[in-house]
Amino acid sequence: MSDAVSRAVAGPPPGTPWSDQAPAPEAPGQPQPGAPTPGQPLLPPEQHDSVRLAGVSKTYGTGKEALIDVDLVIPEGDFVFLVGPSGAGKSTLTKLLVRDEKATAGSVAVAGHDLGRMKKKEVPLLRRKIGIVFQDFRLLPRKTVYENVAFALEVTGTSKRLMEPAVERALALVGLTEQARQRPSQLSGGEMQRTAIARAMVHDPRLIIADEPTGNLDPLISWEIIQLLLRINEMGTTVLMATHDAEVVTALRRRVVALEDGRVVRDEVGGYHREY
Amino acid sequence: MHFLRFSVRQALQGLWRNSVMTFAATFTMILMLILLAALVIVIAGVEAGLEYVESRVEVRAELHDGLLEERVAEFQGELQARTDVATITYVSKEEALERFTDQRAEQGQTDIASAYAGFNPFNAYYAIELRDPRQSRALISVLEDETALVTRVLGQQSGIDRLVELTAQLRNLGFIVLSFVALTVLLIVVNSIRMALMARAQEIDIMRLVGASDRYVRWPFILEGVFIGLAGAMVTLLLLLIASPAISDIASDIAGSVPLGFDSSLTLQIVLISLGAGIGLGGLGAWISVRTYLR
Repeated sequence: MSDAVSRAVAGPPPGTPWSDQAPAPEAPGQPQPGAPTPGQPLLPPEQHDSVRLAGVSKTYGTGKEALIDVDLVIPEGDFVFLVGPSGAGKSTLTKLLVRDEKATAGSVAVAGHDLGRMKKKEVPLLRRKIGIVFQDFRLLPRKTVYENVAFALEVTGTSKRLMEPAVERALALVGLTEQARQRPSQLSGGEMQRTAIARAMVHDPRLIIADEPTGNLDPLISWEIIQLLLRINEMGTTVLMATHDAEVVTALRRRVVALEDGRVVRDEVGGYHREY
Repeated sequence: MHFLRFSVRQALQGLWRNSVMTFAATFTMILMLILLAALVIVIAGVEAGLEYVESRVEVRAELHDGLLEERVAEFQGELQARTDVATITYVSKEEALERFTDQRAEQGQTDIASAYAGFNPFNAYYAIELRDPRQSRALISVLEDETALVTRVLGQQSGIDRLVELTAQLRNLGFIVLSFVALTVLLIVVNSIRMALMARAQEIDIMRLVGASDRYVRWPFILEGVFIGLAGAMVTLLLLLIASPAISDIASDIAGSVPLGFDSSLTLQIVLISLGAGIGLGGLGAWISVRTYLR
């Protein structure tokens, strides 16, 4: 991985990132050589799109229009960058997807659930199907890496018997089996973010939402995290990553959705994005 | 089971981490419960005493001097036939004097009998015990109407009424004071749980993020309040247990021979009231806090 990372940091030519290691998106499912994939089966294909927004607007109580008439469809298994300047509506969009906020107009569907009609009691069940990763990691400082990941299962009523293998699998996926007993304060930034990703993955979610996951990391470590997200995507999980990182987006040539002042101003597969 | 274990562990951890506030809340809870228990004990004592006094109250109808024995016996028969009369005893003029001098002699006035030699100011009387000592009015009015026979009717109703009223006032005052103390305890518990919520804000965020259901988020905090109440009740009961011989001594000094009903039913009552008030108030405070500060 370090070879790839150093090459990536040096600036891979557009269109050929990771071509020697990461399989192309058209051929998902082939585990990376040497990657700690625990041999879990691919997620079965689902009948619906992972995310479907139709005519979505969000106006906050203050009168601020955070999103205006947004249409967005993300099929199962896609890898999508969400870009745009601060205040463009990226955070609002992610909040709508996990039903932290409700759309003022239009419909939001995630993994086949209409979030507008969803009862409050069903929200936790939705969130178990979505893994969320933040810029600031949001780990519990008193808990070890293992406990932080296990926490997600513990608070959703998973029995200890099922918990252990799931946590171990998630830790193996992000390559932190060795650090399981360490606390966040003993970890590097990259390791903390990988812990957060393991926690997001421990429920076997169909969708990962990563909100600026590399915002607090130096470029070398950022590439490590991106590569991990790509691998997760190859295993069948849809990934939506909000980012400011022009270099990463440009290098990877994935689908890019650009937001500006609450509107989708660009949605291109393999697109680039302007410097904001 | 998993949920319960999780909630209990989280609650105990929260109490431990926030130990100063836990101590403050538990301590005020103990103060309130001691006050509550004291009130229960005092009221129970006064009521038992009152009941004892009431049960021994007799109505005394003093008779004119020089009545015909047949007339006296006839009226006694009439009274005996009443449903509210339990027993009726005729005490003659001589017996009345004798009872009086005996009583005084018992109290140390041994020369009292000679002072009354050849002089008897007492009337003969009926000593009437009622089936229900609180229902004496009807009988008293019948006796008072019989002016040809009865010169004076002595009931102790007014004294008892005053005692009953005093008990009611004591109870009211106690509840007012207790309400204020309970309100203080409630606010302290609310604040304590609010601090626990703030200390765990990040954890709560994460729990919601990963799809924890509401009960996993809320119940640990409600249990924290319940545990504060439980701990308060336990300490209070322990203190009462240690102090109970002293309390009994003081009570029997005050009450003399009057039985105060400090028995196992009062103990059970105090245990239940302390636990109920502690757990109820702790849980209520925590619930208010969770409802207010947890969106």
